[in-house]
Amino acid sequence: MILRMLPWAYLLAAFVFIYLPVGTLVLFSFQEGSLPVPPFNGPSLRWYGDILGDDDLTGALLNSLLVAFGAASVSVVLGFLAAYGLARHVLPGSAVMRGLLIAPLTVSYLIVGLGLLIVITRAGLGLSLVTAAIGHVVINLPIAFAIIYASMGAQQQNAERAARDLGASEAQVIRLVTVPMLMPAIAAAFFLSVTLSWDEFIIAFLLTRFDVTLPVEIWSMLRSGLSPRLNAIGSLVFLVSVSVVLILELLVFRRRR
Amino acid sequence: MTAPVILAGLNHWFGPFHALKDIDLTIEAGEYVTLLGPSGCGKTTLLSVLGGFIDPSAGEVLIGGRDMTHVPPAKRPTTTMFQDYALFPHMSLRDNVGFGPRMAGMGRAARNARAEQLLGMVGLASEADKRPHELSGGQRQRVALARALAVEPDVLLLDEPLGALDLKLRRAMQDELKSIQRQVGTTFVHVTHDQEEAMAIADRIVVMNAGRIEDVGPPARVYRAPASLFAADFMGEMNHLPARITVEGVETPFGLIPQALPPTGRAVACLRPEAITLGEGQVRIGPARVRDAAFFGTHARAHLVPDATPDLTLVAHLPPGAMPAPGDSLDLSAAFDAFRIFPVKE
Repeated sequence: MILRMLPWAYLLAAFVFIYLPVGTLVLFSFQEGSLPVPPFNGPSLRWYGDILGDDDLTGALLNSLLVAFGAASVSVVLGFLAAYGLARHVLPGSAVMRGLLIAPLTVSYLIVGLGLLIVITRAGLGLSLVTAAIGHVVINLPIAFAIIYASMGAQQQNAERAARDLGASEAQVIRLVTVPMLMPAIAAAFFLSVTLSWDEFIIAFLLTRFDVTLPVEIWSMLRSGLSPRLNAIGSLVFLVSVSVVLILELLVFRRRR
Repeated sequence: MTAPVILAGLNHWFGPFHALKDIDLTIEAGEYVTLLGPSGCGKTTLLSVLGGFIDPSAGEVLIGGRDMTHVPPAKRPTTTMFQDYALFPHMSLRDNVGFGPRMAGMGRAARNARAEQLLGMVGLASEADKRPHELSGGQRQRVALARALAVEPDVLLLDEPLGALDLKLRRAMQDELKSIQRQVGTTFVHVTHDQEEAMAIADRIVVMNAGRIEDVGPPARVYRAPASLFAADFMGEMNHLPARITVEGVETPFGLIPQALPPTGRAVACLRPEAITLGEGQVRIGPARVRDAAFFGTHARAHLVPDATPDLTLVAHLPPGAMPAPGDSLDLSAAFDAFRIFPVKE
């Protein structure tokens, strides 16, 4: 009896470990008082009203969405083109090229951010949301490339060959056959890039100045101490990430079956 | 639409590997030709050269009288039906079949009508809205055929189209392919390693081995009077008898066969299993002991050891009515013209 319960107890403990912090965060975002600590005296939507009325915060939220979707779009387009080129053509040193494309994954975000900061200030370009998005492309491109490259198999190649045989030009082959067939991988790469870019802090912190993304805004608020406002923001960030994952699940993986 | 194909002096190397050796072949317009041979014999390479997927190292390809040697697949009057069908999984059957006409600039209504007409021809008219993954193997094969024919090619190239189907379905599809080919009149070039399939379907069979054409001709001729020992063996079971060509004729262990051949010495006399008959005949094999026998429905296949040649085992297809038992002794013979003689190069 005890032995049969043990795996369930273990499972429960694991989930508590993973979700207790998130659960606490969400719970105290509904706190009535001004400190997110027990005892809980709510529920109240006071702090949600507060943050949604804060122009700095809603501005940062929009900036984050802009950077996340922009960087993800660029990463997926570049990643797809690199994967298509390397999977479909015999190029000299293609193994080295593949390695170089994946390598940025192993570099810490801090190093990527610092490197870009030096380059951008030296080049005399101002820091803005665009520079933060460039930083996110640097970290997302290898992931997008790896996901799309891995799903380019012989099946697509044969279908592409058949399409060419039926009179399709190279552009038509990519538009009508390759991209639609790779849609699950492309969408997975896109939404993964969105979620990674959405709550990325270090690069965004180093490469933005006046317009900042949400994680940077939260960081500056944190310096003035704990408040249920932060819990409310955190809950919203969490809600967006969960939604993206759910969209991915519903749109991409459900259709595959 | 249809067109003749002329292959002249084709040679192709994959690195140091000589995959096609001096291929000369003429295919008439509207003919159904099969390229038959074991794997690695170059038949698929030859098909790829015809389809434009491989640029041959030497020689030329003429289709309908025009030089197509270096023309890419999209610009050739050929379509290929690939071994794994290569259907587009994200499109309905209608859009799959309509893809070629769409690339040719045909409007949506016209190409849908064309796709539905062709799906009707292969018996899938009611499935036009389905996706390929909802179909069985045989149905996918039909869709691939309809898609290839939708662009009205002069020459349709089929790369082992029936390889993935079970035996019964394969035989049914052979009949269907043949009847569709008669209906549309397009030149079909069909690659296979199954000699029964080749005989069932082809107007002419091209037997290939090690990059060379061994024999070309109608199925009955290639089966009965093969041009080479390889073609003889590949077309079906064959008994090999040691022989010797002399001025008087061909000496075999069972007597002299009168054939006027240049006396080149050692040779192999080939005899089909069904050419061995019971009783008296022109060539008397004589009494033979049955080693074993199995019932095949249309015939009884027996291994026999003739008393005259104890170290030679013959395979014979005997009438199925009287099943011989192991140890029985049968009196065997064969006709003169049942033997094919191939000199052995020394």
